[in-house]
Amino acid sequence: MTPRAHLGIIGAIVAKDLREFSRDRFWMIMTPFALVIYIALFWLLPATTEETIKVGVYQRGLDAVIAQLGEGQGSGLDIVEFESPGALEEAVTAGESVSIGIAFPDDLLEAVAYGRQSTVTVFVDAAVPNEIRTAMQALVREVTFELAGVGLPVTQPSQELVVLGEDRIGRQVSPREEMRPLLVFFVLLVESLALAGLVAVEVQARTAKAIAVTPATVADLLAAKGVTGTLLAFGQAVILLVAIASLGNEPLLLLTAVLVGAVMMSGVGMIAGSAGRDFMTTLFTSIVFIVPLAIPAFAALFPGAASAWVQVLPTYGVVQTIVGVTVYGFDWAESAAYLGMAAAWCCVLFGAGWFALRRRVEAL
Amino acid sequence: MSSAVMTERPEAGAAGSVARTVPAIEVTDLAYSYGLVEAVRGISFEVAPGEVFGFLGPNGAGKTTTIRMLTGQLRPKAGSARILGREVGRDDPVLQARIGVCFEEKNLYESMSAEENLRFFASLFGVRGLDTDRLLRRVGLADRAKERVGTYSKGLRQRLMIARTLVNTPDVLFLDEPTDGLDPVSARAIRSIIREEAARGAAVLLTTHDMWEADELSDRVAFINEGRLYAIDTPENLKLRYGKRSVKVRRRDGDAVREETVPLDDARAGARLAEAVEAEGLMTIHTEESTLENIFVEMTGRRLEQ
Repeated sequence: MTPRAHLGIIGAIVAKDLREFSRDRFWMIMTPFALVIYIALFWLLPATTEETIKVGVYQRGLDAVIAQLGEGQGSGLDIVEFESPGALEEAVTAGESVSIGIAFPDDLLEAVAYGRQSTVTVFVDAAVPNEIRTAMQALVREVTFELAGVGLPVTQPSQELVVLGEDRIGRQVSPREEMRPLLVFFVLLVESLALAGLVAVEVQARTAKAIAVTPATVADLLAAKGVTGTLLAFGQAVILLVAIASLGNEPLLLLTAVLVGAVMMSGVGMIAGSAGRDFMTTLFTSIVFIVPLAIPAFAALFPGAASAWVQVLPTYGVVQTIVGVTVYGFDWAESAAYLGMAAAWCCVLFGAGWFALRRRVEAL
Repeated sequence: MSSAVMTERPEAGAAGSVARTVPAIEVTDLAYSYGLVEAVRGISFEVAPGEVFGFLGPNGAGKTTTIRMLTGQLRPKAGSARILGREVGRDDPVLQARIGVCFEEKNLYESMSAEENLRFFASLFGVRGLDTDRLLRRVGLADRAKERVGTYSKGLRQRLMIARTLVNTPDVLFLDEPTDGLDPVSARAIRSIIREEAARGAAVLLTTHDMWEADELSDRVAFINEGRLYAIDTPENLKLRYGKRSVKVRRRDGDAVREETVPLDDARAGARLAEAVEAEGLMTIHTEESTLENIFVEMTGRRLEQ
C-alpha cells in the first residue's frame, strides 16, 4: 500500500472518530460549556495585582506619625484612619476594608516624653502572614523611636537594591495571568479524557478488531487515535488562547508548546482508554494520570521556583513555556530548555500510549 | 494432521470472478496455544473458490482461534496458512482487501447509522462509490439505513454485520456463527446471502454449531474438537460413512401401537423390512438417517452445544 493510501485510511478513521465525538451528548455539552466557563473565568479575574497593604490607624494628635507611615504609601502602604480603637478592631475583624490595624494610645507622646510605659496595639486578621505581622511590629517600634527623637541604637548599613530580571513593581503577575496556563492545561486534560472515552469504546465494543481485518494496519489505527486526540485538544486550546487574547507574543512558540502538550495528552488518553474495562476504570485511570500532570499548572499559580519534584513532572516544560511566553515575554531561545524537556516527555508519553493501545488491540 | 481426514473435493459453486487454479484457503499443520493450553493442534485443510466449508465444533473447539489465525489477527505458533495464494500474516493490506470477516460479536459503531457504518468500512477498503442502498436492500435493511445502529435488534445488527462483510466484494468470507441466536426470518435471509456469495465464486469458511445449518449450506464440513480435526467430507459422505440408516415402522396391534426400527446396514435388512411392511395393521413407515450431530457425537464423544 502506498503512503497516500495509509493517509486516506487514517483520515477516514479520524473522520469517524470526530463523528462519534460529535454524537456523544456528554461531550457535546461539556466541551463548549467548559470553554465558556474557562473564558468567562479568565476575564472575570482581576487584571491587576493589589500591591499595597491597607493599614488602619487610630491616633490622636499624632499627625507626625501618620506622615511617617504615609511615607510608605508609595512602596505599598495605604493608610486608612479610624475614629476609635473599637472601630478599628471591628474593621480588622470584619476584614472588609483593612486587615491590619495600629491603635496608638492617646497619651503616647506624653508617655514617650516622660519615659512612661505605654502600649501600641496592632490588630491583625488571622489570615495575615507572620512576616507581615513582624514587619508591622518593627514599623511601630521605628515610628516610636522617631517620635522620641532617638534613632535605632544601631548603625544603619547603606543599602543597594539590585533587581534581577524584569522589575515588575507596579505590574505584578495578575491572577488572570497566573490562571492562563492552568486554563490551557485544563482544556488539554479534559480532551485527553474525551480521547480515552473514544478509545475505550473502540476497545470495549471490539470495533478495533473489525478495523484490524481490513487493509487498515494497527499502526494506522493508532496514528488515527493520536491525530484525533491531538486535534481535539489542540483545537480547543487554540480557541481558548484566542478568546483570552493570549497569542500576542510569539504566537508560533506558544502554539508549538500547546501542540506538544496536546500530543502528550493524546498519549495519556490512549493509555487510559486502553487500560479501561468500562467507563469507571477508564475514568479512574485517567484521573491517576491527570492529577500529577496538573500539578505544574497549579504550581504556576504561586510565586517562586517550583519544587524539584514538580520540575521533573512531564507537563512542567509545557506549563513553563506557556508562562514564559505569555507573562514574561520569553522568545524561542529563552524557552528552548523548557520546550526541549516537554518534547522529550511528549515522546515518552505518546510512545507509552502507542505501546499500550497496540497491545490491547492485538489482544482483542 | 490428526485422525481421519478425507480430502475428497466437491465441485465448486457456480463460476465466479475468483481464479480456480489455487485453493482459496490452504492450511497446513496449523497450531496455536494460549500459554500451556493448545487451542489448535496441527490442523490441515483446503477450501476451494466457490465452496462453502462448514467448520463445526462445540464452544472452545478451536474454530474462532483458527479464523483469527487465517485473518491475520493471531500469528500461528506452528504450520502455515495461505489465502488466495498469499502467506497469511499480520497487517497484510493486500490480502485483507480481498477477505471479509463476520465476527461472532456484533462489533458495529452504535452511534452511527447502518449507511455510515458501511461507508466507513468501504473507505478503509478503498471502495469508492459503494452502493449502500443495494447492499442494505440485499440484507433487508434499506428502510432503516439512516437509523443509529444502537436502536437495532440483534437480528438487524447481524444483517448489518453481513452487509459490512460484503462491502469489498471479498473473494474469501469468514463467517463466525453468522446465524447464532437469530429469528428464523433473519437466519434464512443470511443463509440465502451465503449461497449467493458462494455462487459468485467466493470461498466461505462458515463456523457454526448448528448442524442443520451446516448440512444445508456446506459443500463440505470439518469436525473440530479440542483443536483437532476429526473428519472432513461432504455431509452426505459423512452420513453414509459414519451414520446409521434405518426404517421405523409403526403398526397397530389390537389396541396398542407397535413401533419397530429396522437397521438398513444389517445383512438381513431387506427381509426384515419386507416382514414389517407386510405385517397387518401397518400405519406409517419412516426412513431415518443419521444427522451430522449424531456423527459428531459418535466421533468426538462431545455434544455441540457443550
